[in-house]
Amino acid sequence: MSLMQAILIGLVAALTFFDGSWFGEMKFREPIVTGFLVGLILGDVSHGLMIGATLQLMWMGVTGVGAAPKIDIGVGGTIGAAAALTTGGSAADATLFAVPVAVLMQLVHTLMMSGFSAFMPWAERKIERGDLRGVVGIHYLCGLIALLVFSVPTALGMHYGTGGIKTVVNGIPGWVQHGLTGIAALLPALGFAMLLDVIMTRKLIPFLILGFVPAAFVGHDLTLVGIAAIAIAIALIVFSLYTDLQNRQSPVPATGAPVPAMANGATSNSDNEWED
Amino acid sequence: MANVQRQPDVRALPKKEFRSIFWRSFSLLGSFNFERMEGLGFLYAMLPSLKRIYRDDEAGLKNAMSRHLETFNMTVAPSPLVMGTAVAMEEKAKADPTFDTTAISAVKVSLMGPLSGIGDTFFWGIFRILAVSLAIGFAQQGSVLGPIVLLVVFNIPNFLTRWYSLKFGYSQGQGIMRSMGSANTMQLFTYCAGIVGAMAMGSMTAFWVPITSPLKFTISKNHIVIQDYLDQIFPALLPIAFTLGVLWLLKKRLPVMGVIGIVIAGGFLLGALGIIAGAAE
Repeated sequence: MSLMQAILIGLVAALTFFDGSWFGEMKFREPIVTGFLVGLILGDVSHGLMIGATLQLMWMGVTGVGAAPKIDIGVGGTIGAAAALTTGGSAADATLFAVPVAVLMQLVHTLMMSGFSAFMPWAERKIERGDLRGVVGIHYLCGLIALLVFSVPTALGMHYGTGGIKTVVNGIPGWVQHGLTGIAALLPALGFAMLLDVIMTRKLIPFLILGFVPAAFVGHDLTLVGIAAIAIAIALIVFSLYTDLQNRQSPVPATGAPVPAMANGATSNSDNEWED
Repeated sequence: MANVQRQPDVRALPKKEFRSIFWRSFSLLGSFNFERMEGLGFLYAMLPSLKRIYRDDEAGLKNAMSRHLETFNMTVAPSPLVMGTAVAMEEKAKADPTFDTTAISAVKVSLMGPLSGIGDTFFWGIFRILAVSLAIGFAQQGSVLGPIVLLVVFNIPNFLTRWYSLKFGYSQGQGIMRSMGSANTMQLFTYCAGIVGAMAMGSMTAFWVPITSPLKFTISKNHIVIQDYLDQIFPALLPIAFTLGVLWLLKKRLPVMGVIGIVIAGGFLLGALGIIAGAAE
């Protein structure tokens, strides 16, 4: 494979990541698309498409729903198709390369998205200093890092032989992989905790429980839509109850009169809500 | 209502600003991270509007920016709806100093869950499957129509949803804000938005914090799988326990960077020792 072809395939790998990050999930990552692009680069479009179709069927069920890491079908499909086209061309060969790469690249995602977490306090500081361009710059910087992380190793791997990819995949010790999985599992807890820190007040604790318990026990048979519908029903009940109460207490509502029992529940965002 | 406020006509966003948010919404996941998730991407999309709304109020702008850097996570296609609503609420917040801005966060949180649910069903469940199934026959025959059909079939709903959800979100947000005439109603509205937000947070913690324990023991030939016991006590116990644990650390007023450090070091250690893992696939 020529250096130019290797670089182009590196860019296709980056494109599959940018599909999800910067291009609003336009689906450039689907194996049919990457198979076509890789075929175009390596001069065998129809084979590339057929390999893409095979990988596509295999990965039909892989979705990006929720915060849990999945496997990276974008880079997996790209490298799988490229490896199969350069080594001989059967779709089975493609899956041989595509699957371990898809798993490995998910680790890379995990690492990168853990790393980007460290940029967030930095963004916070830039906001405090009023550095608008700096905040936007961090967003762009993430894109630049991703571009390098996805294109450079792919291009090098393609140029210096697909054997190297296998060695790397098999070379990562298990405990490191488990450690990274542990980080990936814990970080969403941090994100949700920070959000709870903002919106939760003592008066809302019952509703946190009301949302959590059905989701925990019923699981995904009860979707967020279902829980949200119940939540909206409860909110409407509370809204009408309080409105009735208000109207009964003061037929001519005076501005500034606090809603009973609500004044310190809804408006206070002080920390002692939880600590007293 | 006694004090009917001056009711501005329903306005559309300035054309340039609308297009700006529309295109920026595509990069929502551009700086995705496990901590704030799409927070910075959301702020990036909001920035043109925030700059307009707070053009003469530096402190207000900073507060609003911090507010939209908060954790945000949802299916990307309908996300402009939340952006439009948030813009309308920020306009209200600027116009009315008594407005409680936690309502903005609460509304965002309560929208992201259900919209993700609907969005996932349509975009991952229906449109993706439809696009792939129409395309795969062409691809198997080696026809270039494969990728073209896939991209076109998927992206027509993708673009339309973004465009119209932004329009809808903004006008809807204005509508809600206008009906919130008095301070009382606004407080009550904030509380009710908080109810939906809190319930959404509870369920999202159970659904989206993927902590499980792979610990197993064998004691006198009895296999003990810790996760099975945990599930019997309370499903999703580890997700809520760790989330509340981190919340507790945050309430201790430790520096956020320190909390992040604890979470990363703790996560690596617990993962490497085989005590916690991600969701069982």
